[in-house]
Amino acid sequence: MPLRFSLLLFFMVSQKPIFGHLHAKSKHLCAFEGVEMLPVEHLHLEHVLQTVSVLESVILRSFGPEGGQVLFIRDTGQAMLSRSGTHILTALRLDHPLARMVVECVLKHSSVTGDGSKTFILLLASLLRMIHTAACKGTNVSHAYNSRKAAEAATARHLADKLLAFALEELADVIAMGVVPYGYCISWEDFTAKTQSPAHTNNNCVQKLLASFFLSRLGRTHCDFISNLTCELLSHWKFKNNQPPFTLQFVNDNLPALHTPVSGFPISCSRLIEGQVIHRDFATPCPQTDHHPVKAVVFTRYLQPKLLSAGEVLELGYGEQGKERSIVQFSAWAERSLECVIANLQSLGVSVILSAVKQSAAVLALAAQADMCIVECVSEDELSLFAQLSGARPASDCWMIESDHVATLTFCRPILLGAHRYVHVAFHDSEEAVQVKPCSLVICGPGEGQTDQYACAFRDAIHMLRLTLEPMGMTATTASKRTLQSNKNTSLEMENQIASAPPFQKCVLEPGCVIPAGGTFEFLLNHALLQHHGRSCSVSDDTNMGIPAVSQLLANVLLSLPRQIYSHSPRCFLQTQTRLLSFIENHSHPFSLVQKQEHNTILIQGWGKSERSLEDGKQSMHCCREADVSSKVFMLDLGLESVSCKYQLLLAVLQCVSSLLQVDAVLRTQTALRTQSHRLPNISWEGTEDEAEE
Amino acid sequence: MSRLVKKSPSLCTDLPLDNTDIRNKLHLLWQLLRSCFGPTGRLKQVHNNIGGHVVTTSTSSVLLPAISSSQPFINLIKTSILNHVSRFSDCGLFAAILCLSLIERAKRSGLRGSVAISVNKHLLGLCTGYLQGEDCGCKVKLDFCSSLSLIKLSRSIISSKPACVLTEAEAVHISKLAVQAFLLTVPCNSPGIVRLGKIVTVSVEGHSVLNSAVFPGLLVDMPDVFGLNKVENLHSNPLRVVLFSASLAGDLSELGDGIIEVHPGVDTDAQILDQLLELGKRVVAEEVKLFVCQKVIHPVLQQYLRRHGIIVIERLGINVMEPLTQLTGAQPVATLHTTIPAKAYGKVRDVDIRQFGSKTMLHLHPPGESAICTMILCHRNETMLSELKVVCQKTEHVLRLTLREPSALLGGGCTETHLAAYVRHKSMNEVTETASALGCTQTEYFLGVEGFCRSLESVAAALEHDGGNCLIDLTHAHHWTLPADVITEHMEDSLGLCGCGVMQSSPNKKWTYLSTKYPQFSPAPLSRDTTVQPRVLDSFTAKLNALQVAVETANLALDVRYVIQDTN
Repeated sequence: MPLRFSLLLFFMVSQKPIFGHLHAKSKHLCAFEGVEMLPVEHLHLEHVLQTVSVLESVILRSFGPEGGQVLFIRDTGQAMLSRSGTHILTALRLDHPLARMVVECVLKHSSVTGDGSKTFILLLASLLRMIHTAACKGTNVSHAYNSRKAAEAATARHLADKLLAFALEELADVIAMGVVPYGYCISWEDFTAKTQSPAHTNNNCVQKLLASFFLSRLGRTHCDFISNLTCELLSHWKFKNNQPPFTLQFVNDNLPALHTPVSGFPISCSRLIEGQVIHRDFATPCPQTDHHPVKAVVFTRYLQPKLLSAGEVLELGYGEQGKERSIVQFSAWAERSLECVIANLQSLGVSVILSAVKQSAAVLALAAQADMCIVECVSEDELSLFAQLSGARPASDCWMIESDHVATLTFCRPILLGAHRYVHVAFHDSEEAVQVKPCSLVICGPGEGQTDQYACAFRDAIHMLRLTLEPMGMTATTASKRTLQSNKNTSLEMENQIASAPPFQKCVLEPGCVIPAGGTFEFLLNHALLQHHGRSCSVSDDTNMGIPAVSQLLANVLLSLPRQIYSHSPRCFLQTQTRLLSFIENHSHPFSLVQKQEHNTILIQGWGKSERSLEDGKQSMHCCREADVSSKVFMLDLGLESVSCKYQLLLAVLQCVSSLLQVDAVLRTQTALRTQSHRLPNISWEGTEDEAEE
Repeated sequence: MSRLVKKSPSLCTDLPLDNTDIRNKLHLLWQLLRSCFGPTGRLKQVHNNIGGHVVTTSTSSVLLPAISSSQPFINLIKTSILNHVSRFSDCGLFAAILCLSLIERAKRSGLRGSVAISVNKHLLGLCTGYLQGEDCGCKVKLDFCSSLSLIKLSRSIISSKPACVLTEAEAVHISKLAVQAFLLTVPCNSPGIVRLGKIVTVSVEGHSVLNSAVFPGLLVDMPDVFGLNKVENLHSNPLRVVLFSASLAGDLSELGDGIIEVHPGVDTDAQILDQLLELGKRVVAEEVKLFVCQKVIHPVLQQYLRRHGIIVIERLGINVMEPLTQLTGAQPVATLHTTIPAKAYGKVRDVDIRQFGSKTMLHLHPPGESAICTMILCHRNETMLSELKVVCQKTEHVLRLTLREPSALLGGGCTETHLAAYVRHKSMNEVTETASALGCTQTEYFLGVEGFCRSLESVAAALEHDGGNCLIDLTHAHHWTLPADVITEHMEDSLGLCGCGVMQSSPNKKWTYLSTKYPQFSPAPLSRDTTVQPRVLDSFTAKLNALQVAVETANLALDVRYVIQDTN
């Protein structure tokens, strides 16, 4: 018993650093049958709120324009810098089950969207706070509940469920009505436009979308540089006659092979280079000649035949005819066969061999004598990318080399990137090959921590773009498209559709819709929700009593985000809000599609202009309401963010809240495997447990 | 939750740079590195707690890895600087001192983090733009027609490392050797892409530094002088060379995982040895005079080859293999049975035996022009020798960097003071536009500029360790040092030359102390027709990158708002 107890203490003490104060909460040791002691923690709303608030306080340090980096030291001693919410949350190594549940939710969300993990926590905290207040206020201690706490919990649970139900049913429509008309639709063609005219406004939008993403992930200093680089990379990798997600998917899948981290240089040295970088050095002296083109073959196996594979027996001795069979003959045979392979390659004009495995010294020497160079131990990812780009099949059998195994390269030369020498190849433009301009990304940074950070941000940016450009919800996609297409003719029909909002047409959000960043989405949705609230109060008062309160609550929660963004100057917050609201009122017919188009351009171009006009130092004639000089900070922050990402985020937060509030107690079971001294007698069972862990 | 081993939660620090303990630690590091900086820098002895050997150094690349701290900030800065040094070999201490003082000044000024960062970034842009521009007043073009400026550059690097303990004459000798070795690695008449050769460094302990030398070609260890007596009569030049990369000890490595059954009476070893001797016979028939193997050669084969007057070198090691293939033109052979093609043989013009202390070395002369050379470095004891070796490698690297960008910066702190004066002047002129573009007030901007310029100047001031005063002249903004024991009335007599040696003190010059405020002015560039050449030069490429890395690292550190330390 004392041992058990000390274990438990350890459990509690170990939580000190971040959740120390949570242990004031009610905790009982319950005796079960007099043998087992299970600590039961009753979770109340305050505890949930407290837990999330602690997470919020950490996240706030890196949120918004005034936020900074979080430095974390891995258990290996390696330093990492990050502004990514998911990184920060996982690095905390939280112990509290509730906090872990929240982190799981965040991870799940951001693995899909690649964005919004910090906002997730902030929204969650603010939502819980509101629910808490509402529950405290609105609870009458009835006889059905034992205590006030239980009653509160029930109210909160009920509220959360209603919120979720509301969001699932109506949020998309509210967004479509109140936010989307003020947004702008970027499409895949915007990338296409990039190559023709760099100053194209549409591409500007993609760049701005990326810039505001990188601003939240990397800080202000380099967000423009990196977003331009990303745009450039994507426009290079544009596959003709292909759907946009294909490029994003391709870049996403091949990102490990497509980027090279280089430490010791400033970030501004990051660049794109033509072709592919194979992250290995030549195993033989690299090619001296510069003849073009270079022919290369990819091998996945050993070139030198193994004399004996496992299980085979080689008998050395005297044969039947008295002929001696010597080991030397066998190795001579192996060498000769290797010579034949090399001669065959030579006849095909091959001068570069890429190998997935390490080749023997004899292979290297013979290849060098035949003026071929070998690159060994090339990773599978890189070989598959190479195969895709060159159009050549990797060869597994060195005896069956045909012309379709031979890739034609414009060059193959060593490239020195930081401390390492790699192999740099560029591909021939051929008709049947994919029509892209292959290029790789070199990410420079002062240290490994930074290059990793940039690579991660890059990957998540691709995720975010994909989600933005993809139609939402696979099943509902076709339905929504049909609706949109049929409604393009008459705006009246559209209005009806939205007003009635049948549940199977929930996905009225167009893919690729973006909205200016800096709280615009929240302000607009807040406004829309309040209006919705007003409407449902007057029109459908009898149908659902909960809805108005719920939408009002959600509207208030949303405002917490811009409040944080403008936390350094509350004046800015009010100014921005007032400006937006007056804008909405002056353009108050967002339901006509034609007009909607206009609005898009007005909002975005107007702000874009005002930004420019600030630089010029004069007032813009167009939309002078926006060109308020006092709101400089707002203009500086102006980027774009994806509406669909925001929508998904809201849904995810509401889901998380409702699942959090379902939990009412934590049972801490004691697994006896934590210490050496407390081994379970049943060894076989323990074995399976170990396996499960691995 | 499935974990059986419990992970303890991480340790968190909120707003780490507001923590006095952390700031004290950073200040301590700054003091430590500052005291090592420059030719008169103080040396540091590094020894570990288990009685390993003592290293005496003032080089950042040796010193920084020795500093281990539990403080993540120190590690962050350390890795950034080390990464820079591993790429550029120079200006590590410069970057570290600049970075640390930028952090300290930004914190002391009380600026908001984001403002300090954007101002720093803007000023860095100003600096790099100026340094890369044509009319930069602290840059000199390197003249490849004469080796003089290269020698000056290498001498500046060598003399900035006092742990080598070199006298004036020795420093000159080593700088000349470094330039000579570097020039030997640049091929003269190869068209197309120029491939630089390699310097193989051999260190010999216990000899005078002045015995150090550079030889074209390759010097390889000859542990046994046995069999070398015949070398003298080997003058049938050029000598034919064969180079093996596979082991010739009689083992068969590539057999596979199968089982070998040997009948009684069969002697596999003898069969393999016979095969090796067969190889020896072929080599003798091909009139090979030098037989080199990366790995081990069977003693019987060695004996056989020596008997036929062939010089045998075994266990060469992988490092010398590539220079040797370049030198001889031989291609490594790894097959025992196939005939060696004629082009796989290489050539050596001549061989010599050279004796350096206890070391006997075989000098292989290249058959034609070759970019391979060997540098023999001698010094009195091991510590100084290892420092000298590091310094020579750095010098070689810096000299190579000049091939890409044939410029150098004025040394002796003049570049830093000049740059600071330029930044002050430039930012004063365009304060309104810049402040609004950066989204800060003018006061904030000036605070940021002051911190940046003071940090730059503090690097120049860090060169002085003997209590002297640092001054700046008000025309060219060069750096001057006033020895501690001089009375101010006779200032211009005791100033002599400026840090880089291009300016001479004269009565019509005006100076001010570096620590004082001075009216901003546009620093004048060097007059074009000046015959005086700077005495101290710094690598342009390395310093430019160091500047960028220092500011970027400082910005990163200033941006950190929270530290999470995994304690598992």
